Amino acid sequence: MPQSVIARNPSVLVFLAILGLFTLSVTLMSEWAGSEIVSTSFVKTLGKTLCLALVAVAMDLVWGYAGILSLGHFAFFGLGGYMIGMWLMYERTHRIVASSLAEAPIPPTESEIAGAIGNQIFGVVGSSEFPAIWAFADSLALQLLLVVLVPGLFAFVFGWLAFRSRVTGVYLSILTQAMTLALALYLFQNDSGLRGNNGLSGLQNLPGLDHVPQSSISIWFFWASAGALALGYVFSAWIVSGKFGSVIRGIRDNESRVRFLGYPVEAYKLFVFTVTAMIAGIAGALYYPQAGIINPAEIAPIASIYLAVWVAIGGRGRLYGAVIGAAFVSLVSSWFTGGQAPDVNLGFYTIKWVDWWLVLLGLSFVAVTLLAPKGIGGLVDLWTGRMAPDRHGADLGPDSGSLREAEAEQ
Amino acid sequence: MRPIILAMHVLIVSTVATLAETGPVQAILQEQRDLIVKSSRKTIGPAIEAVATSGLPEAQSVLQAWQVKNIWMRKSDGLFFLGEKIDSKTYRLIDFDSGDTVGEFPKRALKNIKPNSGIRALIGTALVQFQLLDPEPDRRMAALDAIERSPDASLLAPLRNSIDDESDAEIRARKMRIERLLTIAHGTSVDERVAAIEEMSTDLGVDVRAALNPLTRTKIMAFAGDIPEGLNVARRLSPGSDDLPREDAYALLVATDLAPAIVGRDAIRDALIANLEDNSAGGVQAGELGTDEARLRAYGVLARAGTVPPLVTDAEMDAALDAHIFAAVYAEASSAVTAAAESALVRIANRVGISQGADLALDALSLASIYFLAAIGLAITFGVMGVINMAHGEFIMMGAYTGYVVQQFIPHHTVSILVAVPLAFVVTFGAGVAMERLVIRWLYNRPLETLLATFGISIALQQLAKNIFGTQARPLTSPSWLDGAWVVNDVISISHIRIAIFVLALIFLGVFLFIMHRTRLGLETRAVTQNRRMAATMGINPDRVNMLTFGLGSGIAGIAGVAIGLYAKVTSDLGADYIVQSFMTVVVGGVGNIWGTLLGATGIGFLQKGIEWFNPSNTLAAQTYMIIFIIVVFIQLRPQGIIALKGRAAGD
Repeated sequence: MPQSVIARNPSVLVFLAILGLFTLSVTLMSEWAGSEIVSTSFVKTLGKTLCLALVAVAMDLVWGYAGILSLGHFAFFGLGGYMIGMWLMYERTHRIVASSLAEAPIPPTESEIAGAIGNQIFGVVGSSEFPAIWAFADSLALQLLLVVLVPGLFAFVFGWLAFRSRVTGVYLSILTQAMTLALALYLFQNDSGLRGNNGLSGLQNLPGLDHVPQSSISIWFFWASAGALALGYVFSAWIVSGKFGSVIRGIRDNESRVRFLGYPVEAYKLFVFTVTAMIAGIAGALYYPQAGIINPAEIAPIASIYLAVWVAIGGRGRLYGAVIGAAFVSLVSSWFTGGQAPDVNLGFYTIKWVDWWLVLLGLSFVAVTLLAPKGIGGLVDLWTGRMAPDRHGADLGPDSGSLREAEAEQ
Repeated sequence: MRPIILAMHVLIVSTVATLAETGPVQAILQEQRDLIVKSSRKTIGPAIEAVATSGLPEAQSVLQAWQVKNIWMRKSDGLFFLGEKIDSKTYRLIDFDSGDTVGEFPKRALKNIKPNSGIRALIGTALVQFQLLDPEPDRRMAALDAIERSPDASLLAPLRNSIDDESDAEIRARKMRIERLLTIAHGTSVDERVAAIEEMSTDLGVDVRAALNPLTRTKIMAFAGDIPEGLNVARRLSPGSDDLPREDAYALLVATDLAPAIVGRDAIRDALIANLEDNSAGGVQAGELGTDEARLRAYGVLARAGTVPPLVTDAEMDAALDAHIFAAVYAEASSAVTAAAESALVRIANRVGISQGADLALDALSLASIYFLAAIGLAITFGVMGVINMAHGEFIMMGAYTGYVVQQFIPHHTVSILVAVPLAFVVTFGAGVAMERLVIRWLYNRPLETLLATFGISIALQQLAKNIFGTQARPLTSPSWLDGAWVVNDVISISHIRIAIFVLALIFLGVFLFIMHRTRLGLETRAVTQNRRMAATMGINPDRVNMLTFGLGSGIAGIAGVAIGLYAKVTSDLGADYIVQSFMTVVVGGVGNIWGTLLGATGIGFLQKGIEWFNPSNTLAAQTYMIIFIIVVFIQLRPQGIIALKGRAAGD
C-alpha cells in the first residue's frame, strides 16, 4: 500500500519531488531540448551518477538496514552490466555482419552469420566459438531477465551458503570481498567467454538506432536511470517501512535476540541480500550502456569498497543518505580527478588534485567514520530539528542501532 | 666467356708446375682448389675434411683464417696465402707452411676466398676437434658448448679421441656425458646406442630427454595394403579412437592423395558463387541459397553435371577409412633403439615426476612462508585484538619502501638490509601506534567501522606512496650472498632468498610465541583480550597494552615488507596484493591462534601450488579456484577456522 509507505516516510515524497525537478531541469537544459547548458557527455555523467545512486540505495538496504557489510555488491552491478552488454554487443555485431554478408552474391546461411559474429566478438581472445553463456544473447527479453536473475542467483547461492553457516560481521565482509576477487579474476581470463580483460565495448551504440544522435540516447538513458532510481527508492522504502523493515533492523541491532524471538533470521538476510543484488544488477544494466565499456577491472574488490564509502559518507540507515553520498562523492571525485579542480600552490609544493584527491578522500572517510557516523544525511536531522532524544551517553552508531552507551552497557 | 675459361686453364696448368715447391698445407689446398674457389655449401665438404684430417699442425690456423675470410688466392699462380691488410689496396701475404711473408701485393692481383655462413658453420664444426684438444680450458669448454648447440655425427669421433687426454676432471666428466648423448643419437651400431641409452636412463637432465625424444618421435602414416617391411612401427591405430579422430585420419588420406577431399561448407559456397549463371546456380535461385539444405541441393545438381567435384558422403568416408591401415611409425629405423628409448623415457619421467613433486613442495613451502610473513602481523592485530586493519598491507608496503630508501643512503647491500630491518620495524611501529591512538581506539566496539576507517587510511597511504615514489617499481636489491639458488638436481632447486624468507618466518613464529607466552606484554595482551575490565582491575592499563600490541603487529608487518620487497618489486600496490590472502590465512587458520595462522598459510600455499600444478598455464584460474574452494570449505566445514577458540576465549 504505497499510501501508507509515503505516510510513514514523508521523505519519499520529498525525494521524488527533488528527483523529478532535477530530471526536468536537466532535460530542459540538455542538447536534446536544443539548449547548450548541459553537454551530452555531462548528461551521461549525471545518468551514470543516478545509476550509482541506485546501487548505493541497494547497499544501504543491505548494510544500513540489515547490517550486512557486503563488499560484493559492485560485482552484482557489474554482472548486470555484462548481461545487458552481451545483448548489445551481439545484436550490433549481428546487424553489421548481416549487412556486410548480404553483399555477397548468395545470401549467407545461419551458421555463417553466427560464425562471422563469433569471429568479430571473440577474435580478440583468439577464438570464434560462442561460449555456452551466450546462448540467450540474441534475445533482448531473455538477457533483460538475466540482468536480474544472474546477480540474484549468485547472491542467493552465496548468501545461502554463508548465512546458513552463521558467518557474520567482518568474516562475512572478508568472504564477500574474496568472492568479488574470485569473480574478477575469473572474468580476467580469456577463456571465461566474456572477452577477458578486453571486456565488452561499444555498448553506447544501441543496435538499430544508428540514426539517432547520442544527445537523444543519452537523455533517454537519463530518464530511464531516474525512473529506475525512483522505483528502486520507493520499493526500498516500502521494504523497510513495514514489519519486515522492523525485523531486519532488529537483526542489525541484535541478531541473536531476533532469532530467539522466533524469526527465521537467515531467510530475512538471504531475502535482503538477494533482492539488493538484483537492484544492483538493474543499476549496472543501465550504467554500462552509458559508460560504453565494461571490463573485469570494474568488478575488482576496491569498487565494492568505494560503494561502502559512498554510503557511509552519505549516511547509512537512511535511503536518501545513500543517494546523497553516491551522487556527492562520485561527482566530486570526477571533478577532482578530471583535472578541473584548480591546483593549490603552497610555494614549496604545488598540490595537484589528480594526485592528492585519493589522499583527501581516504582521510575524509576516516574523519566521517570517526566524527560524523551519520554522514552527510545527518545534516538533515539538524535541519528538521529531529535531534535524537538525549538518552545520556555516546551514540554507538548505526551498528548498535538506537541503543545508547548507557543502555548497552547494562 | 671463352677467353676467361681459356685463361683459367692456363692458370691451372701453370700452377701445377709450382706444386712441387710448396709445403704440405699448400699442396692440400691446391688439390681442393676448385672446390675452395667455387665456395658452395653443397660441395665444400671434402675440401674442409681434407684440411681438417691432414694431421698437419697448421690445419687449425688455416681453418680459422678461412672462417674469418682471411685466405687470399694469388691470381698469377693460384696459390693460397694468409692475407694481412696494409691499406685498402695492398695486402701482405704470408705462407701457411713456413709462416714467412711472401710479399706485398696489390688487391687486384688477389682473390679473397669468402665462405658463406653455411660454409663457416661447417668450418666451425671441423674446428671443434682442434679446440677439444686446446691447452686453454676455456676454449675446450667453448668447444663443448658448440657441440651441445649443434650435435653432429662427425663430432663423435674427435670427441671420443679427446677424452683420454683430458686432464681437467670437470671437463672430462662433461666430455664423457656429451659423448654418451652423441652416441645415443649418432652411434654407429645399435648395441652401442642401446648401451648409451641404458646408461643415461637415470639422468634427469633436460639434454638427455632432448636426445631421447627425437628417437621416440612417430609419424602417423596410412597404407593402402599391408605395412611394408622394414618400417619401425610403433603401433597400429584405428580411425575414430582418441589417438586418431576420424577427421584427422581422413585428412591424412586426403593429404597423401589416397582419397578425394571433403567438400566443406566454404568450398560449397565458393563453388556455387563461381557457378552462378543468370542469378541461379544448379537450378536454384541465388536468393534462395541462404540455407544449407538449398545449397546442398544446388551443389548436388552441379556435381551430377560434372562441373564440381562430388560430395564425399559419410559412407564413402567410412569405406576409405576401412580400406586403409593406419600406423604410427618411428622415424628411427632400429626397433631396439626405440624400445630402449621408450623405456628409458618412462623411467626418467617417473624420476622427474618424483623430483617435480619435491620441487613443488619446496615452492609451496616458500609461498606458505611468504603468506605467513604477510599474515603474522595481522594475526596479532586481527587475531589477538580483533581489530580489522585493512591498512595492514600498506604497512608491509611501508616496510618495503623503508628498505628501498635505506639502500639509497647505504649502498652496501648487506649493511643496508641489517639497518633496514630494525628501521622498518621502528617506522611501522610508529605508524601503527599513531593509527591506534588517532583512529582505532575510538572504534573498538564497532568492527565494521574499523574496517572502513582503516580502509580509508589504506587508500590514502597507497596514494601517498604513489605521490612520493612514483608508480614505477623500485628495486630493493638483495645482498650477493642471497643471490643464486640451492640446486639438488636438474629439477629440484630453490633460490636462497626463498630459503631466507622461510627461515625468517620460523624466526617470527618463535618471536611471536616468546612475546605472547614469556613476556609481560604478552601476558597483559592476553589478559586484555580475554576480559578488558577484569584486566584493568588487575592494574593493567588496557589502552597502553592495546597501543603496544597494535604497534607490535604493525612493526612485524614492516619487517615482512623488507623481506617481501627483496623477493618482489616494491610498488605502491605491494601490500594490496597480499591483503586478501593475508586475511584468508588468518581467518581460515582460526582467529586468535598463531598455530592456526601457520596452518592456514601452509594450507593456502600448498593449495595454490597444487592447483597451479594441475593447470600450470593459467595462474589466474588457479587463484580463482583456490579462493572459491576456500570460501566453500571455510563456510561449510569450519566457519571458525581450522583451530577454533573454545570456551570463554571464543567470546560471542
